[in-house]
Amino acid sequence: MKRIIGPSVLALTLSMSGAWAQGVTLTLWTESATAPEGVFAQEFSEMDNGITIDVREIRFDDLVTDTLRAVATGTNPDLIAIDNPDHAAFASRGAFLDITDRVAASDVIEIDRVFPGPRSSLTWEDRIYGIPRASNTIALYYNKDLFRAAGLDPDSPPQTWDQLLEAARMLNDPANDVYGLAFSARASEEGTFQFLPWAQMAGGSFDSINAEGVADALSLWKTFLDEGLASPDTLTRGQWDSTGTFNGGNAAMVISGPWELGRMASDAQFDWGVTLLPVKEEGGERASALGDFNLAVFANTENPEAAFAFLEYFWSQADRIWPEFTRMPAIEGVALAPTGDARIDAAAEVFAEQLAYARNRGPHPEWPRISQNIQDAFQSVLTGQAEPQEALDRAAEEIAEIVN
Amino acid sequence: MQRVLQSMRDGVGFDALLVILTLSYLLIFAGLPLIYNVIISFQNVDVFSLGTLLHPSAGIENYEDIFDDRQAGMVLWNTVIFTLGSVALQFTLGFALALFFHQNFMGATWIRGLFLAAWVMPGLVVGVLWNWLLSGDFGVVNYALENLGLIDAPIFWRSDPDTSLYAVLIANVWYGTPFNMILLAVGLSQIPEDLYEAAELDGANAFQRFWTITLPMMRATIGAVIALGIIFTLQQFDLFAAITQGGPAGSSTVAQYWSWQLSFREFDFGRGAVISVLMILVVLVVSLIYVRSTKAETQL
Repeated sequence: MKRIIGPSVLALTLSMSGAWAQGVTLTLWTESATAPEGVFAQEFSEMDNGITIDVREIRFDDLVTDTLRAVATGTNPDLIAIDNPDHAAFASRGAFLDITDRVAASDVIEIDRVFPGPRSSLTWEDRIYGIPRASNTIALYYNKDLFRAAGLDPDSPPQTWDQLLEAARMLNDPANDVYGLAFSARASEEGTFQFLPWAQMAGGSFDSINAEGVADALSLWKTFLDEGLASPDTLTRGQWDSTGTFNGGNAAMVISGPWELGRMASDAQFDWGVTLLPVKEEGGERASALGDFNLAVFANTENPEAAFAFLEYFWSQADRIWPEFTRMPAIEGVALAPTGDARIDAAAEVFAEQLAYARNRGPHPEWPRISQNIQDAFQSVLTGQAEPQEALDRAAEEIAEIVN
Repeated sequence: MQRVLQSMRDGVGFDALLVILTLSYLLIFAGLPLIYNVIISFQNVDVFSLGTLLHPSAGIENYEDIFDDRQAGMVLWNTVIFTLGSVALQFTLGFALALFFHQNFMGATWIRGLFLAAWVMPGLVVGVLWNWLLSGDFGVVNYALENLGLIDAPIFWRSDPDTSLYAVLIANVWYGTPFNMILLAVGLSQIPEDLYEAAELDGANAFQRFWTITLPMMRATIGAVIALGIIFTLQQFDLFAAITQGGPAGSSTVAQYWSWQLSFREFDFGRGAVISVLMILVVLVVSLIYVRSTKAETQL
């Protein structure tokens, strides 16, 4: 592993070595010890700075639940990496440490360089409650070999919804166990993450989910399922598993994010490419989801200085986030260094462009409930229990009650 | 003082001590949480007030919300189907297996022990396993059914709202059957052999022996097994979490999963508690049956 330690980090390390001579142990909760925060925490612990960070992995689905329980009982860790739409719930209720003044005084962290989307997710009432880990968004992956086999041009992938539907129909090949498209419409935050961009491209948003046009987006999703262009298991499968079927050659296109690139480069035995999410009509509005985690310190930590020192170290390693973890930096001015894999480097450009259209979920302290209503809407339509407009109107009504 | 100590060592004092110990254990670890649960079902509790002792009162609003909820009818119906279906199938299969292994052929006890392997597995592991087995495109269950010619197109067990509840039910039956079998096997082995011999001499056939000896003699055990089955099924959570997450579109949501969703997904602990309270009432009735049937058992 390439280790790039800038002069600022060296200075940081030196200045810290004295401060925690006693030895401080911090705890960090994260979805994965191999994610940047886990790897960086390990490195940080190995430095001679008197700080050790214990990393505990918590399943993504349980992260918020377990953390809430821990906060309620005062057994929370010192640090956490948390999905950005969940950040506001904790920040708004004082569970996270307000680091505004520390950031202002820091020589390492320049919070103004954080892109507006991630920036707003970690800000609550003009105060800063964390730093971004990375950014991600979703785009359309497609299997170039299958495109050629179906008589489609692998160099001009679908750009509009109609073209996407048409391509899915042509690529769909039940006899060979190939679906036209894979995505996730699961009743979880992943489903909301995948659906909102479609609603936004049609002119809606989370607080106007029944805007004119959103029903078209939902109808399109339903068409994919009704015509058998996507697996019925789309309703219960997450993005990781859906993309697994693409990598295995059982779906010709998949909607997913840059976190898949590493696995795809090694697993997929075919030529693939990435393109921007198709828009509603030619020249239509672009949108995508803004994903990824933030790092935050808990307000009740006994060692806020040590915890903040880790945030500074994390920040200083920003240029490693893309080449080592294929996650997009959330900080302006960090170049996407070449990875040595031409397909990944080509994808980097697409994702970087797509990220410019990415929109936040929230921020709102009641986001999980808002999200739940959006999930109810698309799931009830996709299972044939409600008409698109009817389901969206109902969701809009419930969301309005939560937001106001 | 001497007398008190004396009675502590052997006598009424010692009995009282034992009773006090058990009762205070029950009160602290079962009673208080139950009471607390009832209390918060009448309050507005969210995550950040969960740790505090006092919460704003909600009156009966939580109860009204639950009964007015669009999902309520479906959840109730799902819970009834899931519970009765699971218990009926687990019991029938368990009883059949118990009778089968009661024939004492070579290796019977051994194989019976192996059946318990399913039951000792953690629920989440069983859930993940069945999640694979029942998966639509590449699931083993579909593969087997298609090759046997029973179905033409794969069934999307987890993703079809008409089958999602049954996907979990099938997994739960597989999971709970060995436990039923073991309890029933114990009951079977307690029936004196000479009863059967006498009946056989009197010319009773196998079915008559089963109907007039086995079933009546097993009444207490059967009551206990069914009561425990209902209680365990109402506690079943892991399989839902692993297989359907209550979906799609809530079609496989049962009361216990809904309660968890309200509490830990929507962070509305008051409404989550309402469902637990209602479930406690059901379990209470079932427990009474259980207690009565075990009482009958000790009288035998």
